[in-house]
Amino acid sequence: MTDTIDSYRFTGGATKRLVKSWIKLESPRNIPWFPLARPLSDCTVALVSTGGIALKTDVPFDQEGERQNPWWGDPSYRILPKDVKTKDVRVYHLHIDHTLGERDLNCLLPVHRLNELENEGKIGKSAPAHYSFMGYLLNPKEFLEISIPAIIENLRADAVDVVLLIPA
Amino acid sequence: MGLAQREIEKAGMATISLSNIPDLTASVSVPRMVGIEHPFGQIMGMPGDDERQRAVLSGALNAIEKMTVPGSALYLPYTYPDTILKAEISSQPEPPIATYLKRRPWHLPRLFTRKIPEHDPD
Repeated sequence: MTDTIDSYRFTGGATKRLVKSWIKLESPRNIPWFPLARPLSDCTVALVSTGGIALKTDVPFDQEGERQNPWWGDPSYRILPKDVKTKDVRVYHLHIDHTLGERDLNCLLPVHRLNELENEGKIGKSAPAHYSFMGYLLNPKEFLEISIPAIIENLRADAVDVVLLIPA
Repeated sequence: MGLAQREIEKAGMATISLSNIPDLTASVSVPRMVGIEHPFGQIMGMPGDDERQRAVLSGALNAIEKMTVPGSALYLPYTYPDTILKAEISSQPEPPIATYLKRRPWHLPRLFTRKIPEHDPD
């Protein structure tokens, strides 16, 4: 463990100013809290990546929409099954080097590492479904009103205890 | 991502965010967070670096068991060698909004204040 880390190591100067400006717009609010119900070794764990990852057989995320109107990001989500392979997916997020996740999905969504933890008994099990959406959503209204409730419904149906959210 | 995390926690699951911009993630009052100095596009670790990916995943999941207070944060000690970081940062693509604002810098304040137009204002 370390005491803190540099929040701006990977941002250029302009992005750093932007992030600091966005932080100033926020004010502290009540923090929701649901205590861990049982030991991790009994928990079902799901992963959520903001990488805009989708199965090649699924509907692509709308990159063209963002190119046409860069204020907009695709607010939808995709399901990635527990046994998904790297060769099965595409990474649609336009702000990252998509080739990394397409070389090894675990850079963004560590499904294979999670399966290993399940096999070793470190977690109860990897959920049957994991999720991805596009992290670039300047206006998250539609995402929060439509996509998140749908993801939550699926997580509940799979009796998920723990969710790890992973930025792209 | 933090807003999604808050909603999932409210729905009755224990959630934790990994973040390489922990100042920003913490600003939306997330229940639990683990910070890490890993670059965009490979936040879990480089392609093929199973050992690092695993250390990050275990670090984040084990943190949930230790955290008992809302708003807890912990920082993982892993990073990348500087030479790799420089190459990776320079290979990041320019997003559409950056290209757009270079041509229309007068719209920059909209982005900084998050007054996001529904449609392209031009």
